[in-house]
Amino acid sequence: MKMYPANDEKGNVLICVMGVILVLSIIGATVLRNSTTRLNVSSNQVRAWKEALSAAEAGGNMAFAELRKEFSADSSVRASQWSGWTNSGTTYVSPESTFGSSNLKSRTVVETCYFDVSGNFHLGENPDPNANSWYRVRSRGVSVLPGLKRTGMDDAVINEGRKHFAAFGSTAMKDITARGNGDSLLRKIDFNYDHFVATYGRSWDDPLSTRNDPVAVGGTPRISRRIEQIITPVTPFFDAAIRAAGTFYGLGSAAQIDSYDSRQGRYAFVANTPSDPRYPNSRHGNVEIGSSTATVKGMIYGDVATNGGTIINSSQITGTVDNNVPFTLSDYKMPDTTSWQYEPAPPSGGGLAYQLGTSYSGNKTLTPRYAGTVDAPVYYVVSSFNGALTVNPAAAGTDTYVAIHVTGDISGNSTGITVNPYVHVKIYFDHDIDVKNNNLINQNPTSTNPQAANLQFYGISPPRDANGNPRWTQTINLNSATPSTLAMTFYAPSADIILNGNPDFIGAMVCKTFYANGNISWHYDRALNSEGQLLDFKIASYIEDTR
Amino acid sequence: MSRLGLRQVESGFTLAEVLIAMAIASSILGVIFTSSIALQKSFTAVDNYFGAHMQQIRIVDYLARDVRRGLSVTSSTDRQTVTIKIPKYIIQAGDSDATVSNIGSPRSPSLAIANGDYNINYGTPTSTVTTVVYSVNASSILRTEDGELTTIASSTDNLIPETVDIELSNTEYTTTAITFKPISVADRSGTVVYSTAYLRNRRRSL
Repeated sequence: MKMYPANDEKGNVLICVMGVILVLSIIGATVLRNSTTRLNVSSNQVRAWKEALSAAEAGGNMAFAELRKEFSADSSVRASQWSGWTNSGTTYVSPESTFGSSNLKSRTVVETCYFDVSGNFHLGENPDPNANSWYRVRSRGVSVLPGLKRTGMDDAVINEGRKHFAAFGSTAMKDITARGNGDSLLRKIDFNYDHFVATYGRSWDDPLSTRNDPVAVGGTPRISRRIEQIITPVTPFFDAAIRAAGTFYGLGSAAQIDSYDSRQGRYAFVANTPSDPRYPNSRHGNVEIGSSTATVKGMIYGDVATNGGTIINSSQITGTVDNNVPFTLSDYKMPDTTSWQYEPAPPSGGGLAYQLGTSYSGNKTLTPRYAGTVDAPVYYVVSSFNGALTVNPAAAGTDTYVAIHVTGDISGNSTGITVNPYVHVKIYFDHDIDVKNNNLINQNPTSTNPQAANLQFYGISPPRDANGNPRWTQTINLNSATPSTLAMTFYAPSADIILNGNPDFIGAMVCKTFYANGNISWHYDRALNSEGQLLDFKIASYIEDTR
Repeated sequence: MSRLGLRQVESGFTLAEVLIAMAIASSILGVIFTSSIALQKSFTAVDNYFGAHMQQIRIVDYLARDVRRGLSVTSSTDRQTVTIKIPKYIIQAGDSDATVSNIGSPRSPSLAIANGDYNINYGTPTSTVTTVVYSVNASSILRTEDGELTTIASSTDNLIPETVDIELSNTEYTTTAITFKPISVADRSGTVVYSTAYLRNRRRSL
């Protein structure tokens, strides 16, 4: 008997084994797929969320770098400031920059702004002709969220029955909690870009676009984050009547230092009158000393700081005393004059009314032929300054800006300067000053209410030798003479200042060492906080817009 | 004879064959069953791990974001509660300066000088500051913003946050460690996520 059953049974076993392998493979693949999908979704969201902030901060950094271009030693860098940005009045808008392997995008808006005497915010240039402007920088960073379709994460309809987020001005809007209940594996967020643009339109952070443009949302889910930074100018006379990096002696035992704000009117002593509206500005006559050698006398309506000194708080100092505040002052260099309106010296003598001789002496009334601007003053260079100079405005009632660079000394019994109304003078000197107090006269805006920022002295630091020592000593001697009201500022980080006599002094001094033994009435003008030569910028505030 | 032969082919397997086949099938089914359970456990563990890890990241990110834009941070002695003061940047319903048209829009900054430095405020510093508190409640991490409660993380496994704040001369920073200890794996010491965040604003007393 011949039998054939074995061949049929082999086929069944093969099918069974393959089926088992298939089932196992499907189970394994499903587990792996689920795990991988969750990992990808989570990691994509984490990455996009963090990269969006990085992009926004990169935009802010680009704006900051753009602002700081004006301090570059390279003229081509200075000339390229705001290149590629769109300028509208005092607002600058960056192009939309794309960078990084994830094609991040950022757009930044830089708005010029300022704060008034009450600390209130205003857009536009600072109307104070001596002051520097601030900047508000709003930056948006966008990151594409790969691998997900737009499904609408807001599963709760808010207000109005519309299928998007709370409308602008809706009372349902209350920070992040009013966005709906859309949840994700990572966080309770919606796709911020969609949410923001649909609710507010692009114009919040892109003035070039059309407002309330839901179409702008586009087809790809994106996450965006927004930051706002306030950038402040760094100025030489911020919040200190006297700042000496080295030794300090002063003032006389019957002297006093207080403060006021010239934007609130002329000086009046109100430091002991809390009910006076000017009182909050009256106790900022601060003294900052960068060494431990400090002899502080007189009444100080403000704070005192030293670096290891032994000043103790007493009834003579109304503010705080901190004996552990080290600081240094960097050398001061002549600013770039490329854009200034240089007025050449005449071939000989005093020349015309708008000219200044190379070696100036005698009496001279200077009436510039141009008004100049804060950033581009009328510019003179003299090798020595040994006379009495009176500076008039270019035309009656026209603010006129004058800069004089003295490469030698400013000295002499009758040497001085008179600044008439509407005139703003900055004097840059390479060597010494030795003049009488009553020959430095500031009458802008009036002789009874002079503002210190209208007469500013800047001491160019001497070059240093191979050992790092200054090649010469720079001194400023202001000699006793009456009557005298000195309304001016000195920024001379390498100079030794000696102030004699008992003048009224309105303004601020920054120097290497300071000595004064007279019973001086010193009034720091708080308008100086944002006035003077712009030294740098810094970020004063950071906030993330979490809408 | 050929018909008899066919009957023999259709009569089925011998007892020995059936027993062997059943033994093999049982083994295969056992492997499938065991594998399925193992894979399911593995998937659950992976899912829990990612879920907990995402919650760790979420806590860190929430906290870091609030610290960056904050004005001051105070962490409790037991490191379990963190209080952050944040400028009220957005005008919200119920605020004293809220109107129909400005709800949801940013406030303009204002300027004050304190401690020898610029202080930028959004609204009056004392009255227009949001207080955010991070705290632990059983297995949940809570974020309370001006009394409004949000559970930002919740886990049946142990999720332990610890935050300390370090004050510097004009700023401060926080260091946070979020530890995840899965209950299901007894011998696991835990996975820790660390974070350091600095105040971007000048620190002030509020």
